[in-house]
Amino acid sequence: MRKIILSLLVLIISLELVPGQGLYSPGQPKDDGRFAASTKQVNQFFRRFNAEESPDGTKRYYEGDPMYRDRELRGNFISILFDNETSGISNETKREFMSEVLSEVMPQYINFHREGWFSEVSAVFTYRGKRENVTLFLKIQPEGLGYEWVIDKVVFQPFKDIFMKPEGDAKSFLHPLSHELGFMNLRRAFQDSDTPEAFTPKEYQPDYLTLFLYEMKRGNIKFETVMDVKFHFFQINNWYFELNQYNRPGFNTGWLMSNLVKLKPGDKETLLRFIYDQK
Amino acid sequence: MKKYIPLFLLLFLATAAVSVAQSDNISPARKQAIDSLALEKVKDLSKYISIIGSKETQFSEANRVMDRAEELFAPGAEMGVSSLSRKEIAYYKVRRYFERLMALNYDRVNITWYDIHYISDLERQPDGRYVGVVTVYQRFEGTSLESGLNYRDTTKKDITIYVEKKQTQIAGRTIEFWDVMLGDIRVTETSA
Repeated sequence: MRKIILSLLVLIISLELVPGQGLYSPGQPKDDGRFAASTKQVNQFFRRFNAEESPDGTKRYYEGDPMYRDRELRGNFISILFDNETSGISNETKREFMSEVLSEVMPQYINFHREGWFSEVSAVFTYRGKRENVTLFLKIQPEGLGYEWVIDKVVFQPFKDIFMKPEGDAKSFLHPLSHELGFMNLRRAFQDSDTPEAFTPKEYQPDYLTLFLYEMKRGNIKFETVMDVKFHFFQINNWYFELNQYNRPGFNTGWLMSNLVKLKPGDKETLLRFIYDQK
Repeated sequence: MKKYIPLFLLLFLATAAVSVAQSDNISPARKQAIDSLALEKVKDLSKYISIIGSKETQFSEANRVMDRAEELFAPGAEMGVSSLSRKEIAYYKVRRYFERLMALNYDRVNITWYDIHYISDLERQPDGRYVGVVTVYQRFEGTSLESGLNYRDTTKKDITIYVEKKQTQIAGRTIEFWDVMLGDIRVTETSA
């Protein structure tokens, strides 16, 4: 018992004696405003974009609070949410985007739980013993009592290299009277050809995610690490932007909008194909 | 009348389910209280990290503090560490991270925390527990007397918090309370 009391006493005294320890203790370094300015979490990006928190981020505004989604506050917030150093978004594009988002008649907000945004994760896996880059696309979905992130798509070069459907003269085919021969020429498709995908319909798209999971279950693919994360947003009508994390000196840091693009009809589908690497 | 009994029963169950769901919602006032609790845990962790990292801390004491620090975490919690020169995340179990911190080859180590933090909203997981993230900034200074070298870095720590409603018996009465556990921590070196 004495030992326990002594240990506790030593622990308490040591907590008191270590200088400058802990949050908000004397001697702690003061933020010069850079960390305060930084959009520190994706959550804070949502709150700032919608003006649902105080300028210093310490107070969350809820419906009914006087400053909740205040238009002027939103304008100030959104103006600091652009990547001003590398993305080269023109002032004209920013102005147009902000005027639509901050419209007095129909302001637009982003919503964590709503469709129209997803994550792109650059990761490293080992595939049959070799390190390979893998791009995973994750989306948020309702599940059970709450929500979860789920893997929606995967881009994996070794799989893409396997599925190279030939076109034109190079493409093999089963001739239109194959049925009369009881499809005996399937032998050609499955044994003599190294591109059996040539015998699939025009609309055929390999399901890389299923293949990926299959290979993982077989023990051929193993997770190593995450390299980078970014987000794609389509929640604002006729606009697309990317959300990236900028870790650099200065005040324009954290999670910021880049690649802001005004969308014309059909652009969204083209952009999605590009993002999913199916161009 | 008998034929309406199943209907009444269904109505009763549905109402009960709704009231349970509502009672599990977190009001802004409750969220603020949970934030304070979460921040207390983060403060405890920051104190423990400072003690573990300090060269004035004796080995046996550091081990005791590591035990205390580990108790703040949910089982299996990991630290994911990256630096400015190495984007890829290195994973450590919490205990291993503390042990590495203790074993750092400096004669003097000073760990301090910036006067800023950010606490996310609480989101509900499929299992009903709530999850949030607290972001804090830490400054590390290590001095090697022999070589006279000084190493200094500032890291951003994004700390997962799990929030769960629990029950306890006090004097025969069941009291409900919200408990906070720490989870995975993402450690990123900053350019500051």
